[in-house]
Amino acid sequence: MNMALGSRGGWWPALCVGTAVTIVAVYLLLVASNWIYLGWHDTLYFFSKSRMWERFWLTVWTSTVSTSFSLLIGIPSGYALSRFRFPCHHLVASVIDLPIVVSPAVVGAFLFGVTTRFPFDWISEYYGVYIGRNVYGVLLVQFTVTAAFCARLMKASFDMIPTRFESVSRSLGASPMRTFFKVVLPMAKNGIIASMIVVWARAAAEWEGLMLFVGATEGKTDIMPFAIYLDWNGGMMGWVTSMSIVCILMAVSAITAMRMIGGRSSVW
Amino acid sequence: MKKINTMVVFLVIFSFFLVAQTYGTEKSLLFHAGLGQRMALNEIKEVFEKRYPDTKVNFSYKGSGYFIADITRSEQGDLFMPGEEFYLLQAVERGFLTDYNPKTDVPAYFVTVIITPKGNPKNIKAIEDFAKPGIRVGLGNPKSCAIGIWHEKTFKKAGIWEKVKANATLSAKCIPELGNATQHKAIDGTIVWATTAVLYLRDVDIIPIEYRYRGIIRLPVGVLKFARYREEAQKLMDFILSEEGRGIFQKHAYAVNPGIPIGKEGFCLDGTTDKFMEYLVNAAKAVKDESFPVTKETVGDLAEEVLRQRKTERAGD
Repeated sequence: MNMALGSRGGWWPALCVGTAVTIVAVYLLLVASNWIYLGWHDTLYFFSKSRMWERFWLTVWTSTVSTSFSLLIGIPSGYALSRFRFPCHHLVASVIDLPIVVSPAVVGAFLFGVTTRFPFDWISEYYGVYIGRNVYGVLLVQFTVTAAFCARLMKASFDMIPTRFESVSRSLGASPMRTFFKVVLPMAKNGIIASMIVVWARAAAEWEGLMLFVGATEGKTDIMPFAIYLDWNGGMMGWVTSMSIVCILMAVSAITAMRMIGGRSSVW
Repeated sequence: MKKINTMVVFLVIFSFFLVAQTYGTEKSLLFHAGLGQRMALNEIKEVFEKRYPDTKVNFSYKGSGYFIADITRSEQGDLFMPGEEFYLLQAVERGFLTDYNPKTDVPAYFVTVIITPKGNPKNIKAIEDFAKPGIRVGLGNPKSCAIGIWHEKTFKKAGIWEKVKANATLSAKCIPELGNATQHKAIDGTIVWATTAVLYLRDVDIIPIEYRYRGIIRLPVGVLKFARYREEAQKLMDFILSEEGRGIFQKHAYAVNPGIPIGKEGFCLDGTTDKFMEYLVNAAKAVKDESFPVTKETVGDLAEEVLRQRKTERAGD
């Protein structure tokens, strides 16, 4: 739709575009001011430190693993919520929404209740480990927070696919499973990939749940957002600023990737 | 089908990692420690693990306020060193810690100092200056951080609490908030621990407090009741309390001398810590001015900290 900004009533589109540009400018200014604060010398210094990239890779691999697990759960359950009418499906849908609505801090607190009881207390005792005090705790928190989120997004992706194709596939004699893998999944591909990136970004930004449930061990459980908090407490503003910049770059690349891959899906 | 196969393979490999990790033979201690002690404790961990290679130290750094809930729910952990004695006493009260002795179990102390933005624009020289009109004072919220309690105590002792409260423009929830506000010139001055002040040497000026109003705050450590490796935990605790362990704390601007005369309220009784204050003031000068000599005589044990902060414009390591 190409409305000339100068034509009658053109002030409205102009206002909208103006608002969009302003808010983008504000965000760019935030990033720029941080970068100016850090200065060129310190940017090079912090970006060349191995500690930065160790944390970066820790964030990347933990989010990737927890996203994979979320997808394993999210795709079938999203499909179920989208297609099948089973008893209490409204209740199930509401419960699935819970981790999105409640703060991740609450999720972290609840995980205590589970991991310190049977059979986990027994496992913990037998192997002499503390469940959730290591990098698997990070994965557990990320997974718990994102799994439901993932199911929700998957439901949205499947909702957009007309059921007619499945009916046709079924009527031609394909089993439900074959229909799912050969018809539905390929059609939902864009949506799934787009949702996957959102889930990944959500996992990489998880922090509150970690704060409650895991606690930070340097080099083991301090993923980027947590590390930023740690260093802020240590007065190390150089680290804070440089890591924030890396986080922003990470987010921008994730969102761009999503736009490019899932361009035609309207999940986002 | 291929996709499923890949996923299954991935899962199997992952669970293998999980099992491999859990079969490790080394004893790893879970150490609940306040965020603020991170730098000193990381150094202690390094030395300790070198000395006892079969014991690993795993920290669970959090804000001190989170620990009681964590320990209550999880009943896990070997050692406990929160940022304030208050939290340890809570643990004692709930029976998580049975043998706390305030006389022997305190490896380090916080000391209160005044910090102002670089150059001290409002020329704050003593506690009384905070009562002057037009000074923007940062205070801690006594409900969420111990420094808030000390602000109240100190200014009440000086008899200027009401005036200072009227000057307050920031109610901080944690102590780094005060440091950052000073660094960014959002307030004209505040009181923080020396350990916090030392993190912002490049951007703040440090002004020692007259000893009558100089607070000394105990920072205790204890072995928890549910310790899985009690013996090792005790070893680590002994190391922290040893001369060598205390030396590491001293490098990060903790007072470590257990003989500092302290009154009932927690304020200094004499000038034992004056020398330490002088080192701190010199350290702030040395970071800003490259030509300032960094020696044992000028900055005491803070030399490492000064050199660390000299490396970058914005503090890091």
